[in-house]
Amino acid sequence: MSQAGRLPVSSAPYLKDNYYLETAMRDVMIALLPISLVSIMFYGANAVFLIAVCMATAAVTEVVFRKIMGKKPSLYDGSALLTGLFVALLYQPTAPWFSAVMATIIGVGVAKELSGGLGLNRFNPALFGRVAMILLAPVFAAFAPGALSLSTVEVVTQASPLALLGGGMDMPSYGEMFVGFQGGALSESSPLALLIGAGYLKYRKHIKLRVPMVIFATVAVVALMTGQDPIYHLLSGGLMIGALFMATDWVTAPITYSGRVIFGVCIGVLVMVFRVFLPPTEGVAFSILIMNAFVPVIDKATRHLAFLEPKEA
Amino acid sequence: METKSFSGGAHVPHFKSFTDELSIQKMSVPEKVIIPMHQSLGAPCEPLVKAGDKVTVGQKIGDSEEMISAPVHSSVTGTVREVETLWYCSGDIAKSVVIDVEGEEQEFVPSVKRDPANMSKEEIVAAIKEAGIVGMGGASFPTSVNINVRQPVDYLVLNGAECEPFLTCDHRAMVERADELIAGAEIISRVIGAKKCMIGIEVNKPDAIKTLKEKTEDKDLFEIVPLAVKYPQGFKSIMIKSTTGRDVKRGARSAEIGCIVRNIGTTIAAYEAVVYGKPLIERIVTVSGPNMKQPGNFMTKIGTPVGHILKHCGIEEVEGHKVVLGGPMTGQAQDTLDAPVIKNSTGVLMLPNEMVREQLPFSNCVRCGKCVERCPMKLYPNQLSMYAETENYEGLEQWNIMDCMECGICVFSCPANRPILEFIKVAKPVVKKREMAKRNA
Repeated sequence: MSQAGRLPVSSAPYLKDNYYLETAMRDVMIALLPISLVSIMFYGANAVFLIAVCMATAAVTEVVFRKIMGKKPSLYDGSALLTGLFVALLYQPTAPWFSAVMATIIGVGVAKELSGGLGLNRFNPALFGRVAMILLAPVFAAFAPGALSLSTVEVVTQASPLALLGGGMDMPSYGEMFVGFQGGALSESSPLALLIGAGYLKYRKHIKLRVPMVIFATVAVVALMTGQDPIYHLLSGGLMIGALFMATDWVTAPITYSGRVIFGVCIGVLVMVFRVFLPPTEGVAFSILIMNAFVPVIDKATRHLAFLEPKEA
Repeated sequence: METKSFSGGAHVPHFKSFTDELSIQKMSVPEKVIIPMHQSLGAPCEPLVKAGDKVTVGQKIGDSEEMISAPVHSSVTGTVREVETLWYCSGDIAKSVVIDVEGEEQEFVPSVKRDPANMSKEEIVAAIKEAGIVGMGGASFPTSVNINVRQPVDYLVLNGAECEPFLTCDHRAMVERADELIAGAEIISRVIGAKKCMIGIEVNKPDAIKTLKEKTEDKDLFEIVPLAVKYPQGFKSIMIKSTTGRDVKRGARSAEIGCIVRNIGTTIAAYEAVVYGKPLIERIVTVSGPNMKQPGNFMTKIGTPVGHILKHCGIEEVEGHKVVLGGPMTGQAQDTLDAPVIKNSTGVLMLPNEMVREQLPFSNCVRCGKCVERCPMKLYPNQLSMYAETENYEGLEQWNIMDCMECGICVFSCPANRPILEFIKVAKPVVKKREMAKRNA
């Protein structure tokens, strides 16, 4: 109803901080750059291939699912590409690409788009896809035995330190494990690189480091209580990427600070339960997914009082 | 410096350096003024003049019988051109008196000089009521109603936070008109029986803090409270909490909490009303913006069209800009340069389009938690926006939508571009209606 000669108006506030969804997703990608580079350095073409395939699959999956569901494309926000990158980092370099592709499709398609799109997904898409493939592995193996691994480049891989620990073998030194160690998933190759990335996210105010700290502290305490080496537990497996990047995922973590602390403690305890009592497979992923399911409950329990709420005298 | 603050809020770039060192100048007198009859909370005024009438500076031209209302006065000498009904961008439709300015003598000349010490409380309240003094920071609540308390109130809180970006009118008033401010605060404190007057000032105004500290050194009544620079420090409930430490309860009026909050400009206007009988016909307006040719703080007559002000400051063309009356967080973009400055217009800002928040397509809430962390009222703006989006009024009530003071920090912070505040503003009247219906049932 703009009249002739009227100036265009809009509503307050007229200022905005320059932090958008795209900015946030780009920041996380930048934060994952160090670990991606380290894994490419270690595993060369295998890592590049895995990352490229997963990111491409993620993009295609999102476009296709949104098309089918009659929604506008949202590739520009970068969340699909990010999920693809996460899935790749959760896989071992020699993993069958078919499995990684399926994990990506399940993550982006089922865990995210079918739950209503970014923001409405209850589970971390990348972890959901990865864990779904672990659970479905027997099914796929039955259908296509042997055809799954198309890895052409020969690389030397070692068992992850956790497997070594489980097998009673010699452990690498703390320093080796911290800076860079070949074994396990791409993301397990360098806690240092992950910490650098998380530091960047902290600097960009995307995450608060207190939540990962709570997870680390819980893991360390439980390790000490059960007579294990806390440093090995902190540096090995998916704990670093899980605590720094997955448990700090905006969408699938509790919204308040106190809720996030509870979330962190529970994840820490669950991780140790998995590691101590169960065979060493993706304990961190399972722990975070299990806690994702409890987020609404945690949010409800930790809801804070409004400023104007009558306070008890 | 030790500062007081509140939980929540965020640093918003404050852009005050354009005008914070410029002393108050007089705005030139426009050719015509447009004076709306509804410039306060409460009932609108009925015009007391008609087209063709001659009016003089300070003459009352609008009044109302209602208790919560404030009379309106002519800011100029001239002839009433017309009384027309105008639509304002604030959403108000109000009768407005348009006056053609005539003659050279356009200053208010006081006919009395009273000593407030010899005046009774009733006389002071009446003088403030007669002068049409309202809250000049934005709320526009009639001051006479506000200070007419039955029981003594512990604190008078002077709001010198000026947390809105760009604005410096209160800052300059605190520095340049400190004596009148202090005298005004003493008058109001006496009326409301306050034993203590807290002046809360954000520490980005060190000269104001220093000036007022020096001038109130030997006065027990005053305490200057340096506040952290954080938006929205200057909102009433936040101000009370920051300066006095008292909790504000839902639905409680300021007086029940034992605190009355007044704006800096309002306090000075109240002083002038009591001592000189001067009605509220002019105010300090910050004229600013990155492309403003001659920004400044101007004593401006109520009713001055924005276009005149911009011309005075060297601006001929506003293409590519939004013209905002008030601050950039809670002000209102104007659709015409004929829009007049009214009693609560703190600023006239010309904001380039590239600086202005554009309402981009928005997505689902991604639960980043920034709005929850920053909401000064400790609400869950994300929840409110989702409930409002789906018209879940039950949910809105449960999550205290009516607590929202519309500071806009949630929208400022939202990475998903959600128009949280628009959702809330649309839903509020419906929730209010439902509450009324429930109460009457």
